[in-house]
Amino acid sequence: MSLWFALSPLLILSAGGLLLMLADAFSEKHTDLALGAFMTFASAGIFAVALWIMGGVPAEVAKLVAPWIVLDKFTLFFMATLCLGGALSSLLAGGYLPEHGLDRGEFYALMILSAIGGVLLVAAGDFLALFIGLETMSIGVYAMTSFRRTNPRSAEGGMKYYLLGSFAAAIMLYGFALMYGATGTTALAGIRDALASGSFGYARDPSRLTTVIIAMAMILVGLAFKISAVPFHMWTPDAYQGAPTPATAFMSVVVKAAAVATAMRVLLVAFGDKFSSSWGAGWPPVVAGLAVATMVVANLIAIRQENVKRMLAYSSIAHAGYLLIGLVAAWGHGDPSASRNGKAAILFYLLQYTVTQAGAFGALILCGSKGKEAVSYEDLAGLGRRNPAVALPFTLFLLSLAGIPPMSGFFGKLFIFQSAIEGGFTWLAVIGLLNSVLAAFYYLRVLVFLYMKEPQPGAVEAVPMKSGYVTAAMVLASALVLYFGLMPGRSLDMAISAAQSLM
Amino acid sequence: MFGHYDPLELIFFSICAVLAIGGALGTILFPNPIRGAMSLLFTIIAIAGMYLQLHAPFLAAIQLIVYAGAVVVLFLFVIMLIGPDSNPPHDGRGVVVRTIGAIAASLFVLQTILVLSHKAVGHLPVAQPGFGSVDAFGALLFTDWLVPFEVSSFLLMVSIIGAVAVARGKQPDPQAEPAKADEPPAAPKELGAATKALKVQTKTGAHA
Repeated sequence: MSLWFALSPLLILSAGGLLLMLADAFSEKHTDLALGAFMTFASAGIFAVALWIMGGVPAEVAKLVAPWIVLDKFTLFFMATLCLGGALSSLLAGGYLPEHGLDRGEFYALMILSAIGGVLLVAAGDFLALFIGLETMSIGVYAMTSFRRTNPRSAEGGMKYYLLGSFAAAIMLYGFALMYGATGTTALAGIRDALASGSFGYARDPSRLTTVIIAMAMILVGLAFKISAVPFHMWTPDAYQGAPTPATAFMSVVVKAAAVATAMRVLLVAFGDKFSSSWGAGWPPVVAGLAVATMVVANLIAIRQENVKRMLAYSSIAHAGYLLIGLVAAWGHGDPSASRNGKAAILFYLLQYTVTQAGAFGALILCGSKGKEAVSYEDLAGLGRRNPAVALPFTLFLLSLAGIPPMSGFFGKLFIFQSAIEGGFTWLAVIGLLNSVLAAFYYLRVLVFLYMKEPQPGAVEAVPMKSGYVTAAMVLASALVLYFGLMPGRSLDMAISAAQSLM
Repeated sequence: MFGHYDPLELIFFSICAVLAIGGALGTILFPNPIRGAMSLLFTIIAIAGMYLQLHAPFLAAIQLIVYAGAVVVLFLFVIMLIGPDSNPPHDGRGVVVRTIGAIAASLFVLQTILVLSHKAVGHLPVAQPGFGSVDAFGALLFTDWLVPFEVSSFLLMVSIIGAVAVARGKQPDPQAEPAKADEPPAAPKELGAATKALKVQTKTGAHA
């Protein structure tokens, strides 16, 4: 296998992004850039799957770009997941942008380049490459958030996200520098070996230990910001609400998946030694605390929202909480079986969450049209009767987000809680379960408005838009939600196989 | 104290040190922001000189290119955009901020004293000859670290496109108004206030 083939998903994405930009610049007529972006993401995803089917990248090829780009099955799994999220978001953009007078070609180029950053982030086996990937992904998303600059909400969300994001990245970079100072390397595997080796001498040199712990805390802050875990979530609702909805979908699936994957690689690989991952002095209790705070705070605030997009933003924060439970379970007191199941549960959760969340934002797009957007719950009143074809996919995705069988969200949550119990964290699973019940309230509230309420007389009604692209995304996402929900076995096997390659 | 220094080196160091400290004082003491920025330039150039003396020519060049070439120019750009005279005539800092500043400053002085009095200072490891030179840096960048170097082109690309996308977004979009009017009246309070503040800012910006 040549390196060209091994790197093909990345190369396809970069070629596609640049070609789309040129097509936008040199074509005089209106071009269907959304279709091009979809094809780019789809073919990159297919190449990642092809690499997987061929048994992954052989070690002698993978070592050519190691440790900067780690081409294991874990990376391939996430390449496919990110491309799936990107493909769905570009279909949504194809419907949303022309409808709302934002049809500028840079959006697709930004989306693809940002996804390249996400892939590099997931694949990074070294802090330096990780940071470059992180910034590439983030800058693209900052620009997408403030894409509608004449709208004050979009400008505010973009500005907040940019400033806080840069701040978090700087803290993380400081952590990397301190880690380099303490261990003398920036490679994740090298840091693990340095921390685990007896010659490092935690006992003999307490000042070095302090440096390692401060560095670990700073890196955790950066990761928690990108995952949007409470208390580093302040930017999320404003950025999600202000951004054009396809960009919101992209942020909540692609950025979140890439950030969680990075957290797994950093915490489980670089800080996977006995000391840094001990319950007494390491990261697991911190992550468990973040998980509880994230779930509880996000769900309580989400209940009080009147704006559906903002509710979905808080719900996306809450889902980060469930994923963090998985991260604690993936550590699992060092028990290999519990650890493998925890990792696999996160991967499966992210895969199904990608289609569900992108679908939910897509359904929200489909519910409104120019000037008659679906913003609050009231706007959606009675839509289920007026437009069953629009309300049905929305129902499907909301039930999946709430975790009701037979939708995919049910198995996502089931695997996470199961692995938490197996890893000895029954209390975390119980808190997660209680939060799922809490969350069901605000998801079902949308359904109540869709099907059981009639609009107030004289109120502005949301008029569904017509777009082939968004409809296609709805069909694709609904099919996948049902597929992951009814037949989770195959994708779960893939997740387990990917989880085993993470080391 | 300066026994093992060449007198010429000592003179060079003294010039750099005086320039650096003088520039730093000027940065915080000049009431005119442009003079402040120009003083900062002196500090930066003086520090670049010190790097040269420490046999780190690459670091010196980067210091000049990044800080003197880009950061200070950016400062000047912003000052010119806002208008050099728009600085508030009175000092807006209250007692609390001043106290915090004083505490932070004394902590810094304490830290400096502690670090300098630590016995490890003076026994620090010595870099090998050639460390930090342009040759050594270039060799490393284009051999072992080639992948991150190439990958950073994505970062530059996305920054350029992002800047263009945001800048083009300002073109007034003829259909933008009705969408705004459709925003929910019952928006959360914090957001409403922030949006108003933003609107006011844009207005004042237009007047300036």
